[in-house]
Amino acid sequence: MKRAWFFVLLIAALILAGCGGNPPATTESVPTETREPIILRTGWLGFPDTLNPAYAFLSEAYSMFDLVYSALVTESPSGDYVGGLAESWSVSADGLTWTYKLRPGIKWSNGEILTAEQVVWNLNQFIENPDGWVTNSSYVIGFVEARVVDSSTVEILLEDTISNMDYRMSFLYIVYPKDFEGFKTPEELQNFTNFSPVGTGAFKITRLDKDQQVIILEPNTEYYGGVAKIDQLIYQTFENSDALVQALKVGDIDFATEVPDTAFETVKGFAGVRAVSLPSRSLTELIINSAPSDHDPTPNRNPALADPAVRLALETAINKADLVDVILQGNGKPGLSVIPPTLGGGFWFNSDIKPVEFSLDAANRILDDAGYTLAADGVREKDGVRLELRLQFPSDEDTYPRTADMLVSWFAKIGVKATPESVDPDSLVSITNPEADYDLVIWGWGSDPDPDFMLSVMTSEQYVEGGWSDCGYSNPEYDQLYLEQQSLIDRAERQKVVWKMQEMLYNDRPYIVLYYSANLQAYRSDRFSGFIESPLGLDSVYSYLKVTSVR
Amino acid sequence: MSRRDYLLRKLLLSLITVFVVVLINFVLFRVLPGDPVRAVIGRNVRITPETQQTLREQFGLDKPVFPDQFINTLGQWATGNLGISWSLRKPVSEILGAKLGNTLLLIGLGQFFAIILGVALGLIAGWKRKTAIDLGALLFSLIAWAIPTFWLGIILLALGSTWFGLPTGGIVSPENVGKPLYTVLPDLARHLILPTFTLTILYMGEYMLIMRSSILEVLSEDYILTAKAKGLSHWQVLWRHALKNAMLPIVTIIALNLGFTVSGAIYIETVFSYDGLGRLFQTALNKQDYPLLQGAFLLLAFSVIIANMLADVLYTYLDPRVRAN
Repeated sequence: MKRAWFFVLLIAALILAGCGGNPPATTESVPTETREPIILRTGWLGFPDTLNPAYAFLSEAYSMFDLVYSALVTESPSGDYVGGLAESWSVSADGLTWTYKLRPGIKWSNGEILTAEQVVWNLNQFIENPDGWVTNSSYVIGFVEARVVDSSTVEILLEDTISNMDYRMSFLYIVYPKDFEGFKTPEELQNFTNFSPVGTGAFKITRLDKDQQVIILEPNTEYYGGVAKIDQLIYQTFENSDALVQALKVGDIDFATEVPDTAFETVKGFAGVRAVSLPSRSLTELIINSAPSDHDPTPNRNPALADPAVRLALETAINKADLVDVILQGNGKPGLSVIPPTLGGGFWFNSDIKPVEFSLDAANRILDDAGYTLAADGVREKDGVRLELRLQFPSDEDTYPRTADMLVSWFAKIGVKATPESVDPDSLVSITNPEADYDLVIWGWGSDPDPDFMLSVMTSEQYVEGGWSDCGYSNPEYDQLYLEQQSLIDRAERQKVVWKMQEMLYNDRPYIVLYYSANLQAYRSDRFSGFIESPLGLDSVYSYLKVTSVR
Repeated sequence: MSRRDYLLRKLLLSLITVFVVVLINFVLFRVLPGDPVRAVIGRNVRITPETQQTLREQFGLDKPVFPDQFINTLGQWATGNLGISWSLRKPVSEILGAKLGNTLLLIGLGQFFAIILGVALGLIAGWKRKTAIDLGALLFSLIAWAIPTFWLGIILLALGSTWFGLPTGGIVSPENVGKPLYTVLPDLARHLILPTFTLTILYMGEYMLIMRSSILEVLSEDYILTAKAKGLSHWQVLWRHALKNAMLPIVTIIALNLGFTVSGAIYIETVFSYDGLGRLFQTALNKQDYPLLQGAFLLLAFSVIIANMLADVLYTYLDPRVRAN
């Protein structure tokens, strides 16, 4: 009896001892003689797989590259491309030679001067060793070689004209050659994790712990774009979003890069916290099995899906505004085109497309006119084909089950019976491509800043095992236009083609784009100000350069 | 049968179990649907089909599962080589070793408090049967046993960080990362409180319930009546005569739990972003990292088998019947 109480007391004592201890050094601790260091703590839900640009796959790695490296050209918060390492650049009349003029006096974070030779060494590595520089190589397709013109000018020669050169250059981070020179095989290069990179970016990494998933950065005082006002930037990984939100609430962190849709309203109510909803590049769509009938294996689907009237009726029966309100809690926009309205500041989104208006009556009329008659059980049929569809979605996304429920109830009102089913994402990959064994699938994409990637997803060339296409859309005219837009240097001309392609997709409906979700982030506004709100996110390098303590 | 024969037989049985586990372990992960390469690269990055093929070759996935991949894997395991993790690109044994210590620290502390508190509470409840104390302890234990781990963790995290300013994640604060743990003990202790507390609550309910029913059974035995008749105090009866006999089922449960808590820590480590095996399991599963998953499950199976062995050995000391039989 006594013993039991002793242990209860022991636990209580332990808890109190722990609580009474020094809190982790926050910005207000340890008064120093000079100014208190300003430490910005960022919490996020992932961790970079590597900091080697040759072989990086996770978006967290690219967030770090933007902080520690520079490219010749970089995307600005407005969506335009501006100079990075390059002060200016131009293209020859035939479109085959691009000339980049470097900013004078750029230094690496170790104090050495950046030379034109180093830039050219980088570019030629990407061109000549695609097996090693796996991720970079896709951005230099069609490059012949890079050359030093003089000590501050470099030149890139192309095989054919390239329409999205700025976008491509913005992903070619220039690395410190001495760190990357010694590798003899592609595997050696790829296994190099580069966790203490020398770069020309606004920050340098002073500590990175892969086990505890913490990255500590400090401003690079040599940075050409000015020195950040914070003294330290700490990235801490959380394994679940509830803990991340709680950490922001109690002030363990100053900034959360991802706030779940369902928690956003709550976070808005936190004292001293500003929660922002930023336009993002992601889209959620309803995929309709559009694989060609001669596809191997033969597509297994409801044959009625080939009827444009059925597709139109499905889209007409979806209340996208309702989806945004319920699923995204209002943080997003109804979907339209596969190109999100944020790309290039809205330049690439075809704003001429007339959205189909939601109307269950209209949807019913479309099906009536197309000859689908209601059977006694409330499901329509035509020529013995009943409008019964499988509706699948990946199990790893918690908003999809609800989205599916809403679709099912609307479809039921137009005589279409959809059966929802949660499927693990890897199975869903093979079900959609190459097996083509599905009717409808709810899924989403995170688009690139350039329209090229999302457009490529819908080409027939991508409908092979390991390719990106999931709907199996196949249209030779579309494929031709895709190739055409790749070589049009004139932005306005390329825009015309890109708009035309979006229109084709909208009318053929391999996808019904349901909504564009927002990028939800939040920070302690009682401690920090100056964050730049843009599609790049509050965690862009522009933002981190401006942000400062409110005290 | 002598104690030596008994233990030898148990050891042999354990070895057979290990082999079966190894076999199932291999098959289990190969029948999972999906493509590990796609799982590694995610869905947002541009990787050409050619590159994916290169990755598949590097992972040995281009070869048939039977016999090529199986023989390969068995050969590696036989030499103690658990392979290279696909997602972390480090030897699996090295990764597991690094995380094992952290997890043992957490579950060691949690189990320590759970055993002491659970057994003590069970003892009191059993002794004070049908009183308010008994009822209260019973109710608490049933609830504690039934609560979902993840939910309890999140609730304690929210309350602990709001009311007591306890940390919301990690083993130490970011500025202490990389320093040897013994130099940052106060910080480490603060980070351990909430996960340990969660683990303690989750397991003490089970221990309490078993201890209570076990002590009730023992207390109805004739020799307890004899002891009471001899004029021994309550405490002497409980301590000398009842406790040792009532401990038998508890030893079994504790031994089994010690093996399984390694996996039970998955939820707790995920809630508290604690750098241990549990969190590693989760990452490995999400990434379909076969070598890492296999290694982790092997370790899990081994810990359960070893814990069982330990229980058997302990039994030979605690229970004379095992020795005699």
